[in-house]
Amino acid sequence: MGTPKFMSKMRIEKNAKTYSRKKEKMGRSPMSNKFFKNMFKKKESKQQAQSDSSSLKNKSINNHSHDKKLISPDKAKFISLIEKESNNPSDLKTKFITEDYTLFYIENLVDSRVLNKHILPVVLKNPNSSPSELKFQLQIPEANMTENLELAILELFSGAALIHKNGYPTVLLAKINTRESRSLSAPENESQVIGSQVGFNESLSTNESLVRRYIRTPDLYIKKLTVGKISNTTVSILYLKSIASEEMVQTLQQRITDLKIDALLDSSFLAEMIDDNSLSPFPQMLLTERPDRFCDGLLNGKLGILVDGSSMAVICPHSFIEFFQSREDQNLRWPIASFLRLLRFSAVFLSIFLTPLYVAALTFHYEVIPQSLLVPLSESRALVPFPPIIEALLLELIIELLREAGARLPTKVGQTIGIVGGIVIGTAAVQAGITSNILIIIVALSALASFTTPSYMMGNVIRAIRFPIIILAGFWGFYGIMLGFCFLLIHLIKQSSLGTPYTAPFYPPRWVDWRDSIIRLPLPLTNLRPTSSRAKKRKKYEEEPIDPEKS
Amino acid sequence: MKNVIHVKPQQMINAFLVFFVVHTTQIGVGIHGFQRIIYQESKQDAWFSVLVIGIVSHVIVIVMIKTLEMYDSHDLYGINREVFGTWIGNFINVIYFFYCSVAFFSVLINYIEVIQTWIFPLLSTWFISATLLLLVIYTFLGGLRVIVGVSFFSFMLAFWLIFVLVFPLQYSDPQSLFPILESKFIDILKGAKAMTFTIIGFEILYIIFPFVKDKKNIRKPVHYGLLVTTLMYLAVILVSLTYFSGEQLSKTIWATLSLFSIVQFPFLERFEFLAVCFWMLIILPNLCLYVWAAHRGLTGMINISAKKFIWLFSCIVLLLTFFIKSRIQINSINNIFGQVAFYIVFIYPLFLYVLALVKKKLTS
Repeated sequence: MGTPKFMSKMRIEKNAKTYSRKKEKMGRSPMSNKFFKNMFKKKESKQQAQSDSSSLKNKSINNHSHDKKLISPDKAKFISLIEKESNNPSDLKTKFITEDYTLFYIENLVDSRVLNKHILPVVLKNPNSSPSELKFQLQIPEANMTENLELAILELFSGAALIHKNGYPTVLLAKINTRESRSLSAPENESQVIGSQVGFNESLSTNESLVRRYIRTPDLYIKKLTVGKISNTTVSILYLKSIASEEMVQTLQQRITDLKIDALLDSSFLAEMIDDNSLSPFPQMLLTERPDRFCDGLLNGKLGILVDGSSMAVICPHSFIEFFQSREDQNLRWPIASFLRLLRFSAVFLSIFLTPLYVAALTFHYEVIPQSLLVPLSESRALVPFPPIIEALLLELIIELLREAGARLPTKVGQTIGIVGGIVIGTAAVQAGITSNILIIIVALSALASFTTPSYMMGNVIRAIRFPIIILAGFWGFYGIMLGFCFLLIHLIKQSSLGTPYTAPFYPPRWVDWRDSIIRLPLPLTNLRPTSSRAKKRKKYEEEPIDPEKS
Repeated sequence: MKNVIHVKPQQMINAFLVFFVVHTTQIGVGIHGFQRIIYQESKQDAWFSVLVIGIVSHVIVIVMIKTLEMYDSHDLYGINREVFGTWIGNFINVIYFFYCSVAFFSVLINYIEVIQTWIFPLLSTWFISATLLLLVIYTFLGGLRVIVGVSFFSFMLAFWLIFVLVFPLQYSDPQSLFPILESKFIDILKGAKAMTFTIIGFEILYIIFPFVKDKKNIRKPVHYGLLVTTLMYLAVILVSLTYFSGEQLSKTIWATLSLFSIVQFPFLERFEFLAVCFWMLIILPNLCLYVWAAHRGLTGMINISAKKFIWLFSCIVLLLTFFIKSRIQINSINNIFGQVAFYIVFIYPLFLYVLALVKKKLTS
């Protein structure tokens, strides 16, 4: 029995080692540690981005933050430096204002009205003042001084005007970028009857201001990060500081800063990059274009992400059942809201399993259909030459094609698609004898049901996973359907959203949260934030008596 | 205390979830046809046998929890090693490992047989077993939390099946329960013993105990789980006894499924087609928990990763299913397994508890 003892001793030593290592880690505050790491990473990524946009030579310099490229005090040298670093694009304008002052900007990125009214006259009026004096004389909201050439170039390309004075090693950055964005409009993909009718647009600043208008508190915290080596896209993380879980903010920030991507063009791309399981078809973060839905999430202790140039905001963590909740449910009376939620959720089941059940029953299990139903069924199928699985797949495919065509075509043509589809499928297909009437009802019903999902992303998944289940049903009947069902169930249990269970609040069971899940109980009973958002403050508001007169 | 199991807090489960674990491990394939087996022993007093075995299971669970609490944070495998020493302890653990594996296997082949008999006579055994095993592998690799999740949803989504018994209740005749207590007491006990194969499953408590977060509150959910199971079996046996005549019952292999077959809805007939397939959800936690228990036993003895184990295990099970050809083979496996399980589940805990007590007294 010598060896086991020895082994156990080894194990103890090993344990001790890991323990000490842990201690070492714990010694430093994990918060600050992560924070510095992030800061460093952020800097690094920014520098990398610049090196790509400037020249390859600078790459070695970027690793040492001490050897920053500095601004040359000499006018001619500075001009050539700027032209070299920016690759001298044709829209780079260099303007000599006075003998000493030189102005650089990218045409169309800066607001020419502000430039002409508030910058040029001021510089002309005070030709002798130093750049730091000029900074206070300029009547524009944001002006900074910098000695860092790389930063200056980056700012130049995000819409700042550089003002350089001969003999000074600093440059004045006047941020006068134009904010071109489309006007606010009603959210097209997530319309609702009762509730606000405004959606996000593509401008980050507009979106932030929209959120700020809903939640007017210093508690609303906005953290800015830059993502994308080439695109340098600004990404904002929004959360309520006194409510959102600190740990989750750290995780999210870590995931975003760890991204090594070239460009970030849309928030849905970001959502897929940073979610827990990118292999799953199910979205684990909510994409919404409704500011009220976004703010609702923030108020529940969740984290929001806004991406510059994207009209869809991201909310996380988001559980599976919450994808089937609409913001409108809060605006309706609770029995109606509960009814609608139940309707929507049963629509999901209908949408996934109705066609497979038809296929399975007609292929293998004629016995389960009552005789009174069997007669019309077999009558309508009498002329159909295909087995049920082919028939169902064909019709489902036609419906999906119609939907896809409707989504891609311009609205004016889109209407004709509806008519063509309606006539072709409704009458012609049956008369031609390639499908049965009853299947058309079933397929239309399941297509209709899939459109009730308030999240477009989730609706797509619901429609897509129907196909493998139809195939399973066509080959192995109810057994196949059950295989698909069990697989989906296990898959959903396995998923997580930002570390919180995807099946919350059902599993792990949080009974109190069930009040606002598949149903919605009256507001006095749903005053708690969901457990899955790990909010610091559990209560949204004090419970009110349900019946004020009696109490 | 080298056998203490260190569990990370993320892997732990709440005590009340043990309710679902215990209940779903108990309900499985046995419920399809336990009526005939008990009826052979205790005739129309079969429901007394169910009651007796239900009460006995409560007693056994009390003893189990007492033993487990004596060794905090040990599972059965650890306690065996602690009580009997490494060699004999490991020998018993090997037996227990095989017990779990055979339990898994017998659940699997019984379900395959039901599918082939009732729905797809031509669907090959290997296909059903391979698909089910794939589901088990997928669940198992998610860890205990996912397995418990499956048993939770299995309970929540399948509980309504018990209310389907209302349909046969309309045609039942309470007269067939009389005369009450005509059978000999020993026959009732024999009937209770014959229930073993159906009621076992709560021994999973032995293995899952270290993974429970609040171990003090474990009694309530476990006993409620047992109670719900017993009541469910009681309901099924009472409906069966009153619905079938005695002669009929002794010739019906899957009495519960026969009960289902008269259920009718305006849009659905022959409910058992749906029920048999839906049963997959009910046996899934059975399979997953047994294979998990087997894995716990094996990792204590040899170093094997979960991934390697589950693939190896599944391959062996898949190969073994090729050898099962007939109803007689399955029946004899069930009988032998039931006999062995009776000693492992109902006798061994008492034995272990006494030994543990003696050992504790001697050492202190």
